[in-house]
Amino acid sequence: MIDLSHTRRLALLPLLTAVALAAGCAQVQTRYGDERSIETVTNQFSSTDLQLIAESMTRSMLQSTAIASGNLPIVTVQEVKNKTSEYIDTRAVTDSIRSELQKSGKVRFAVDAAAMQQQVEEVERQQGEYYDKEQTAEKGRMVGAQYRMEGNIISIVKQAKDIRDVYYKFNLQLWNTRNGLLEWSDEKEIRKTTTKG
Amino acid sequence: MNRTCMIAMLLAAALAYGCATKKGFEKPGFAFGCPIGDAKVSSMEDLNKLKVVTEGKRTTIVATEMRCTMTGDLMKIDVNLNNDSSKVKRVAYKFRWIDREGMRAWEEEVWKPLLMYESSNITVSGVAPTNKAVDFRLILLSQE
Repeated sequence: MIDLSHTRRLALLPLLTAVALAAGCAQVQTRYGDERSIETVTNQFSSTDLQLIAESMTRSMLQSTAIASGNLPIVTVQEVKNKTSEYIDTRAVTDSIRSELQKSGKVRFAVDAAAMQQQVEEVERQQGEYYDKEQTAEKGRMVGAQYRMEGNIISIVKQAKDIRDVYYKFNLQLWNTRNGLLEWSDEKEIRKTTTKG
Repeated sequence: MNRTCMIAMLLAAALAYGCATKKGFEKPGFAFGCPIGDAKVSSMEDLNKLKVVTEGKRTTIVATEMRCTMTGDLMKIDVNLNNDSSKVKRVAYKFRWIDREGMRAWEEEVWKPLLMYESSNITVSGVAPTNKAVDFRLILLSQE
């Protein structure tokens, strides 16, 4: 005699397993990752590219005569032009470079054009009657930068049926503001290729 | 006669000194310009074993030569990596900087991806981010 309920139960088993598997696949999981690992989710500008550029530029600049002389040169950060076809927050790149240089203890940074408005507003605010005149920031005391840092990033993108190749070139320059001489310049190149199949 | 004798003696002394000091080991505590502390390093192979660490998956890429020098007050390292296999290999590397007390002198560097063609050599360079870094390790990670 055949136990029908048992047979039906056996037939249901693969179905239930499939449903459980599908539910498992659909489950969303969030984990912390290594912020310094190599990110290759797409071949657009990535966190790894930003970190590679910042590290490479900083280490190179630290060896330049202007910085290595030990006179604690004052630098201001100017624009890094994004000449690529995609959106890149170049300010994030220069911020990383500035932080690394500042931490090295070999460079001082003067307020840049982007932060000038806030600086002026703060100095003017301190001129008010509520502040102790002995301790307030006076007008005409700001220090001008000896060097200005500027650069650009370009990209060349080539795409065929199953392949997409991206080449980035980041160029950074350090200009002497007094005499207009280029004191240091370096480049970082990155190539990423994505293939289908 | 005396002068000839003196010159001969000086030459012999210079030769003896030259023979006694192996090239790359002239400065005590350093091998090929790289800091070794009290470690027993008598060859380039020993130095590579001391300074190169593999993390994660094992890679067949090996360091074959290493030289260290100072650029200003910052340590600069050149390491020759070799891919002996008949396949293109992908590896990532970073330098870990160590201070006088044996602590980390700087935060972890970003992994730098490297493509190595079959049977090829490539020299990777690293410059210390601070003059507090007096020692280092080269970390390799397979990207296969």
